[in-house]
Amino acid sequence: MELTAPLTVNWTLSYTCNFSCRHCYSRGQARPELPLERVLGLVEELARCRVLFVNFGGGEPLCYPHLWEVARAAADRGLRVSMNTNGWLLDAEAARRARAAGFASVGVSLDGATAEVHDAFRARPGSFDRALAALEHLRDAGVASTVSAVIHRNNVGSYRRIVELAAERGAATVYLHNFKCAGRGAENRTELDLSPGEWRAFYGDALAWRPRAPAELAFDDPILALLGGADPGAVKGSTCGKLSLHLEPDGEVTPCGFIPVSAGNLIDQPLDVLWSTSPVLRKMREKTPEGKCRSCGVYGECLGGCTARAFAATGSFNAPDPHCWAGNGRPQGGPS
Amino acid sequence: MTVLRRNPSLAWRDEPGARERILAALERSEDVADEGWVILVHAGRMHQLNLLAGEIWLLADGTRDAAAIAAELAGRYDAPADEIRKDVEAFVAECLSRGWLVAEDA
Ligand code: SF4
Repeated sequence: MELTAPLTVNWTLSYTCNFSCRHCYSRGQARPELPLERVLGLVEELARCRVLFVNFGGGEPLCYPHLWEVARAAADRGLRVSMNTNGWLLDAEAARRARAAGFASVGVSLDGATAEVHDAFRARPGSFDRALAALEHLRDAGVASTVSAVIHRNNVGSYRRIVELAAERGAATVYLHNFKCAGRGAENRTELDLSPGEWRAFYGDALAWRPRAPAELAFDDPILALLGGADPGAVKGSTCGKLSLHLEPDGEVTPCGFIPVSAGNLIDQPLDVLWSTSPVLRKMREKTPEGKCRSCGVYGECLGGCTARAFAATGSFNAPDPHCWAGNGRPQGGPS
Repeated sequence: MTVLRRNPSLAWRDEPGARERILAALERSEDVADEGWVILVHAGRMHQLNLLAGEIWLLADGTRDAAAIAAELAGRYDAPADEIRKDVEAFVAECLSRGWLVAEDA
């Protein structure tokens, strides 16, 4: 079934951030911000189209001055509200305000199992301790938390410890994100990204550990189809433009935060119309295999992998995911 | 009486126009068993409910038990009441075991 509107809107209310992380897709981006009343109008539009989830990202959502008001409005209209934060500003008071504003959960980034790794990745001394403290403040305030970890060369060997640290502080789910190679991630890719073979080894290990892990492990990588690790019944390939989209501070819509291609603007168009008519979103949903994907036996499961990574590396939505290990010296034709 | 209620922690919606499209396909005698019109998201996973499952889902609003839901649907659809009752009971049992529905004393 093709949806009439996204289930999830990932909303960058502002690109302002107090950090300058080494993988960041958005640092350096700037957009005019809509006045609060227009932002609240967009909340109404999301509710009208029966969007189920809104997740504030950015930028750092806690740098946005009207976060609590916008979140409260969204929660009052029945949306499940969450955000992704670096945790620096998430003290006890902010955790209480998150609860009062109706946040269903708050995600905190933890990109290393030690201060040395995390702080270097986040380019901010003290950020590891503040991220862990943020999780504790959320737990104490009764707000559900999750942890997001971007897997990179310097944390892949200790990702299990990241999961343990998260679980010890009450996070129910840890999202182990693939490295996106967009924005700063592209600049630092050689140093931070894993090779296709290393991704294969990491996912193999994480899938094997998953049933015993102290928190739910969640992945957002379509390339998992190669290991038979995709959830049964899950949407194939990238979910961006199929289940979710990304909303920018000025109402501009892109398929996801990692694909800086406009699909339209919600100031000019109703969300459901944009969703069903945007040629960019259509291209996300109807990919045509290129390169090695053309002869790959698992294309029907993988749909070329992560479209954002393919686009960042080649400029084409249809190119094979650069993390894909299929066909790299091995015969294609099935999960390898 | 024990009534059935949707678990309030689940996010869900019925897709505008989808039910009507399925009913039209049914009129044309097409197989609609796998056609979804209600979407629910539980534990990060999306599920689509087909015509009957979606109807049951919407009727589980805390005012009816399984028998009342089956009776309502038997009046709505031209199918043997016994068959509908069995389908309702099976879907309700599955929903209760998954935590999608809760049973409460009215
Ligand atoms: S070759 Fe293409 S379709 Fe096959 S697994 Fe790799 S990205 Fe997916």
